[in-house]
Amino acid sequence: MNENTNLVSAGAGIAGRNKRYVVWFYLLNLAFAHFGAAAFNDSAHGVLDHSLYADKLLHGFNLAVFIELLARPEFGALPSARAPAMIFGVVFFLASLLFMPGVLLGYASDHRLPRDEFYRACGRNVWRFVRLFLLFAVIAGIIAGILFGALNALVTAADKTSNERLPFFTQILGTGVIFLVLTVIRIWFDLAQTDVVLRDQHAVRKSVAAGFRKTRRSLGRLLGSYVVIAIVALAVLVAGILLWKTIVPPSSVVGAFIVGEATLLLLLATRFWQRATAVAFYVREMAEPVVEEARPIPIFAAPVVP
Amino acid sequence: MPVRLRLAVCLLALLLAVPVFAQTGSPAGMAIPATTSAINSPTPLSQRVVAYDMDAKYNAKAHALDASETLTYHNLTGQPLDTFPFHLYLNAFQPTSTWMREGKREGTRGQDFKKWESKSYGAEEIKSFEVVGQGDFASQLQYIHPDDDNKDDRTVVQVHLLKPIPPDGYIQFKIKFHDQFPETLERTGWNRDFVLGGQWFPKVGVWWHGAWNCHQFHAYTEFFADFGVYDVKLTVPQYEVVGAAGIEVSSLNNADGTKTVSYHADDIHDFAWTASPHYLIYNDTFQGSMGPVKLRIMMQPGHWSQVERQARVLKESMDHFDRWYGAYPYKTLTLVDPDPGSQAFGMEYPTFITGGTTWWEPEGLHLGSAEAIEHEFGHQYWYGMVATNEFEDAWMDEGINQYTQIKVMDSMFGASTSVLNLWGITAGERDLARVMYEGVADLDPMAKNGWQYADSNSYAGVTYGKTAAMLLTLESVIGEDTMRQAMHTYFLRYRFTHPTKEDFLKTIEEVSGRDLRWYFNQAVYGTQVLDYEVLKINSTPVDWYKENLKEKKGQTEYISNVWIHRKGEFVLPVDVEIKFDNGDKVRQHWDGQDRWVRYAYQKKAKIESVEVDPDHKIQFDRNNFNNSRTAEVNGAPARKLTNYWTCISQFFAQFLAWWLV
Repeated sequence: MNENTNLVSAGAGIAGRNKRYVVWFYLLNLAFAHFGAAAFNDSAHGVLDHSLYADKLLHGFNLAVFIELLARPEFGALPSARAPAMIFGVVFFLASLLFMPGVLLGYASDHRLPRDEFYRACGRNVWRFVRLFLLFAVIAGIIAGILFGALNALVTAADKTSNERLPFFTQILGTGVIFLVLTVIRIWFDLAQTDVVLRDQHAVRKSVAAGFRKTRRSLGRLLGSYVVIAIVALAVLVAGILLWKTIVPPSSVVGAFIVGEATLLLLLATRFWQRATAVAFYVREMAEPVVEEARPIPIFAAPVVP
Repeated sequence: MPVRLRLAVCLLALLLAVPVFAQTGSPAGMAIPATTSAINSPTPLSQRVVAYDMDAKYNAKAHALDASETLTYHNLTGQPLDTFPFHLYLNAFQPTSTWMREGKREGTRGQDFKKWESKSYGAEEIKSFEVVGQGDFASQLQYIHPDDDNKDDRTVVQVHLLKPIPPDGYIQFKIKFHDQFPETLERTGWNRDFVLGGQWFPKVGVWWHGAWNCHQFHAYTEFFADFGVYDVKLTVPQYEVVGAAGIEVSSLNNADGTKTVSYHADDIHDFAWTASPHYLIYNDTFQGSMGPVKLRIMMQPGHWSQVERQARVLKESMDHFDRWYGAYPYKTLTLVDPDPGSQAFGMEYPTFITGGTTWWEPEGLHLGSAEAIEHEFGHQYWYGMVATNEFEDAWMDEGINQYTQIKVMDSMFGASTSVLNLWGITAGERDLARVMYEGVADLDPMAKNGWQYADSNSYAGVTYGKTAAMLLTLESVIGEDTMRQAMHTYFLRYRFTHPTKEDFLKTIEEVSGRDLRWYFNQAVYGTQVLDYEVLKINSTPVDWYKENLKEKKGQTEYISNVWIHRKGEFVLPVDVEIKFDNGDKVRQHWDGQDRWVRYAYQKKAKIESVEVDPDHKIQFDRNNFNNSRTAEVNGAPARKLTNYWTCISQFFAQFLAWWLV
């Protein structure tokens, strides 16, 4: 527990010193979501801006009126509003994939990482991270598929008993187990990503193997740290929802925005905290200092000697 | 003709007639009992046509039942009858039945029937069919299909007698039958060790308007039967807890590990029962205006914490109906909380209803059990006592019930929170009724056979949603008190009968003292859609042509115009309210006859907003958003929704990135 606490606090220290990354990613997240909501925004303004009936959505939230709104042909089909949101969600994921190497390098560095080094790390590792993502997707996809299939079978079996709560708790328990298993895979690949960046490892399979070995050896510490942070994330989410429900008047658009965005910012921060924890672990347990060894890649190609 | 000859002819005719009628018509002692032990009335309440005496033994392992039925039928049709149709409802649960075809086409209660499963199989097989005095007709029974050309449908069977029964005569059928219940479908059948016995016995059709009315079992409609007396013995394993329509007369343990529970019911037209080893029983009493009603609530153990809430909702519903529409005359009411996961929730049978809840249902969610209890109890009036033909006029059953449900739920939980009042999210019954209707507004009229609607959405949207919305709107036309009086009159006048749609509509006209044909022709018989909109508004300074005109609030004079547009075909007079920016309000009344109307004003004020139907009397305007228009933009509602949408999008993106990067 003490080791866990140290790891968690070390991660918090790193993430705290590099708050700018969280802020930048949050702004990216907000900007993309804003673009993604543009179609919805236009549709909503088109129907609601001059209607007194819209007050039922402002002063409170009348579900029936909202359903009516979604059903209006002039509002447009919901999928057409949903598609941009999903596309920009994927764009944020790609942006995270692109910029995460710079973040990891920054976390491992004991000084503020210069901008050029940040981008250089991003550029150097982009295809490595894509390969790592594909590997993760295959492994996590297969394991999640098997686990969710098994859970589904369990819930179906539980559903056949006369105990109505059994399927629900089976679902909860099973989801919890799947969450833990996927978290272990995430830790493994977080360490692999860190290894790729900090060792400047071309062969990602070596980093994957190193990440796997270290995850297996220190599973308790790492999983404990990640779970603690995940619990903090859950608490943040619950607190945000409660705050929004209790102190924000239904008609306060600004209040809802502030509480909602603050919650989302803190949620994002918890994930960066996990990443920082992985880096802290890596620096302590897996690697020699590598930041200093990283040499800038020549901007120009070497002259060709005839 | 000489007197002697005339006497001889009469005597001869009498002699010839006696064998024809005597053997079949009224055998000695055959009658419908005039019992009243199950009702709070010293005399029968209905003109009793049938008496069912049934003895059924349920095989819990096989989900099957063997029974004998003695049906005594009183011919009150005024003419001889030689043909009798019977419903065999359980035969609907076979792959080629009409019910299954319709269910497969439209989906029904969570079942899409993509793949046939043997557990969905149900059957009602007649083993013997004796007409007392005429012999066994089992081999002569004919399956008929009066509603479609499906020769494979076996939900209606017909028997031709050798000799007719005379007017006012009696006939007795002794039927032995075997039931195979399906895993719960259409609120009948088994689920694990639970069973709900609905539509489980051969039930005779109704002679109505000079012909037999005995429709096939359809996907959405199934009810129409004559009133009478039921005496039913149910033999089940001793571990079962049993509930049924009517009053429990006795319960005797048998030597073979079974028990026989006997029930009696007066003045009802159907009989349902249930058994499960898990039920916990909660007894209560409602003091109705015709006497005490014993309430028996059969709960699932996991839902026991909600039993008092269920009892409260049930009693409050009964109280509202008693005060507003009339008395509940039966001595019992059984409320069943069916097995979780079964398709047996939310169903009505006389003196016996099923609700349904979950172990986690929060107080603010009335959509589940509270709404189901109120709705199914309401059917005790609109179906149970006022026994309309659900096959042909489903709106008189479901729709009128939906209307009274809205009134009662509004009274119990508030108009805008009667469905949902949770975490700041609200919804009212009347709003949801309109939402149901809006999507299918022009597809089908209310006055249509239940199985001929365009699809299940149209059936639900029109029979439930439109009927409720049109009655709520009618209420605003004739007044709430008048409407309640009309409903009260309709109930008292037509309880224990089979009224038609015109009976209902004429009662409203009579009580309100108004000719409402113009309304009924559009709302009940037509598919016209109602949609008013504020087409546009403007305010222009009178001195608009002057150079360097400076507008000053309260000083500048404006010519303001308002255009109201009737987009739909439904014509309904409406009020229009125009608000000016100096606080003035003007009300206009438009008869809606033209497609549009323009109102013009010259005032030292500009128009602030215009609203059609400012008192919100119209409940079935297809688009409420265009019923008003403000001069200034109010972007706050859209910003609020967009903010929610943005937050959800951000959360989704973060979730994706959390796991994948």
